[in-house]
Amino acid sequence: MSAAPVIPAPSAVATPSRVSLRVPLRLAWMLARPTATGLSAVALPITAFALVTALLLTVVAGGLSFLRWQDETGQLYLALAAIATALLVVPLITLGGSAARLSARRRDERLATLRLLGAPASTVAVMTVAESMMLAAVGALVGILGHLLLMPLVQLIPFRGEPLGGSVWMGPATVALVATGVVVLAAVSAALGLRKIVISPLGVRTRQEAPKLHWLRAVVAVAVVSGVAMVMGTLGSAGDFAVVVVVLGVGFAGALGVLNLAGPWLIGVVARRQVRSAGTPERLLAARQVLDSPKDAWRQVSGVAMTSFVAVFGGTGAALMSAAGPLEGSERFLGDDVRTGVLITIVASFLMVACSVGVTQSSLLLDRRDLYVSLDRLGMPVGTVNAARSRAVMVPLLVVSVGSALAAVVVVLPLAGLALIFAPLSVAVILGCLAGGVGLVVLGLRATRPVLAHILRTPASAL
Amino acid sequence: MTTTPPDPLLPRDHATVPVVLSARGLTKTYDATHALADLSLDLRAGESVAVMGPSGGGKTTLLHCLAGIITPDAGQVVLHTGRGTTDIARLSDGERSALRRSTFGFVFQQGLLIPELTALENVAVALMLLGVDRAGAEHSAAQWLAALGLGGMEDRRTGQLSGGQAQRVAIARAQVTGAAVIFADEPTGALDSGTSAEVMDLLLRSTTGTGKTLVVVTHDDDVARRCARTVRLRDGRIVSDSLHAGAAA
Ligand SMILES: Nc1ncnc2c1ncn2[C@@H]1O[C@H](COP(=O)(O)OP(=O)(O)OP(=O)(O)O)[C@@H](O)[C@H]1O
Ligand SMILES: [Mg+2]
Repeated sequence: MSAAPVIPAPSAVATPSRVSLRVPLRLAWMLARPTATGLSAVALPITAFALVTALLLTVVAGGLSFLRWQDETGQLYLALAAIATALLVVPLITLGGSAARLSARRRDERLATLRLLGAPASTVAVMTVAESMMLAAVGALVGILGHLLLMPLVQLIPFRGEPLGGSVWMGPATVALVATGVVVLAAVSAALGLRKIVISPLGVRTRQEAPKLHWLRAVVAVAVVSGVAMVMGTLGSAGDFAVVVVVLGVGFAGALGVLNLAGPWLIGVVARRQVRSAGTPERLLAARQVLDSPKDAWRQVSGVAMTSFVAVFGGTGAALMSAAGPLEGSERFLGDDVRTGVLITIVASFLMVACSVGVTQSSLLLDRRDLYVSLDRLGMPVGTVNAARSRAVMVPLLVVSVGSALAAVVVVLPLAGLALIFAPLSVAVILGCLAGGVGLVVLGLRATRPVLAHILRTPASAL
Repeated sequence: MTTTPPDPLLPRDHATVPVVLSARGLTKTYDATHALADLSLDLRAGESVAVMGPSGGGKTTLLHCLAGIITPDAGQVVLHTGRGTTDIARLSDGERSALRRSTFGFVFQQGLLIPELTALENVAVALMLLGVDRAGAEHSAAQWLAALGLGGMEDRRTGQLSGGQAQRVAIARAQVTGAAVIFADEPTGALDSGTSAEVMDLLLRSTTGTGKTLVVVTHDDDVARRCARTVRLRDGRIVSDSLHAGAAA
């Protein structure tokens, strides 16, 4: 090493790109071995990517099977399937980003060592992206298996009056394409997520004061929601189905944008109240953590906001269509089928939100491992820490799902009222799904307890 | 529980002072490393003990055994309180955790405060964990912050405090519960010498000054000189244990 050759080694000159990629890849592999940081920190992202792949494959397969219908209604089905797929892409990207952050966190200490040894920032970047892609690839393979196992059940789902059956099988090329898409998305979101990591390598927030979100957000939100509600009101009696669909679509998009604006603000307001009234350590910790970054809290559960919204919107539409009596001809099954689609979308996106919560919480834990170790040493019970972490997710989750469902109800009030009278069952089913989704998120949170236990068992020697 | 620290006590006759914590035959082995090798040590009420020695000598391991953070492979750590004696090494995880939050206080190298909480809340949480209500906990916390010269900084967060100030918040947090023994592992390791002297001064006055016991792991001779007693470790054994006259306490 010290004896610098006058002429560089030929291989390094001839294939610089190979060299610059191979080293980080090998390092990534060395560092990715699970022994160092506990199995759950690796298992969580892989599980998450597996679930995402299986869900995405299944939804795409269902959507593609609609291609066999050549009539106009077939087009409508394709459009709805495309919307459902698009809705799943958002939580998918969130999940990819959090998985990338987790894989970077897992190796923070070793990365720091590497940097001290002179590894350039680009090496670190390539390693993180490479590791996310590896985890995503393993997850995608498991996901393909899962998809195949799911198939017998999926074939039973009825659309347009008959089970999907064999039409839902996709060729290996399509499957490979979707799986590759997942891996690429993982890489892209890892690269995007990296910017944050490089800026604050320690991940510990040093921000001076908790940010305050402007109340104007709420005013704009209320204005838009009531505006849309008014349009809906005048529309309630309109008979033309196509007009109803268009207005529903516009109202949906507008209200969704508004949710994004008002969601963080609302979460912040609730957290601020809770900071004042907190009487136990876990309540205080949870409220302060949410208040520290309402936007992060929102991002973690915003998938649920969208889903609640879709649930009320789509559910109302479906209930209305079913209740409006038999549509003629090919649109006969539209009501039932929209409800089926809404249920599938709800389940899928809740699964992704649950995964994403699990992954985000794991990286938070690893981010702050020194802090959690020190709290354990001070004698803070593990139960208190877990309760605080749990509250910090569940309170925003409940605020968000109830809030956005309410916003959706306001927007479709005239229609929703009818739906409740004419089709209480579909409304009940959708509410049941939402409750189940919240339960899934609780499971996602629980899955991170071993990460905390592992951190406390193997504290950093520096402390 | 909330008294402000008075002036340092004058040195007393060491052997007559009651023992608070008594370690006998402590052994701790990691793989082939003997982190602690049959070590015995008595800590007395109101004394300040500096633990020194080469890196890897077992200082942190000793501190963790004494504080019930880890359990030794062999030996016992007996805690003497007004309510009787307990062998810490025999307690369950949960019992040791409870003991740590009620009877011991800790100051780490970096303050390790909870970054989202204010200075006041960081201190108050220690009391809230013992079941004290929020208002009472914040009242005591405010008194301790004021006693340590942090009046007016109650609402600051970690990011708004200097290293020395954060360390003083940590000292307040360690003591607000009325802990009998305070453990500090290189509490001034991240501070410059001037700040280090201030922090040590406050740490000594607020602990030994009120009859509490202080155990400080340090590499800094200046810090050790301020303590009443210095214990040197090497390879998990005590190689010297000396009282020095004219120390701060
Ligand atoms: N969790 C552990 N696993 C394995 N070995 C350990 C562990 N903790 C301590 N050791 C070993 O025990 C020995 C004593 O460690 P300890 O941390 O007590 O030293 P120290 O005196 O505090 O050193 P320093 O001054 O560097 O902090 C060292 O050889 C160390 O490598
Ligand atoms: Mg040490």
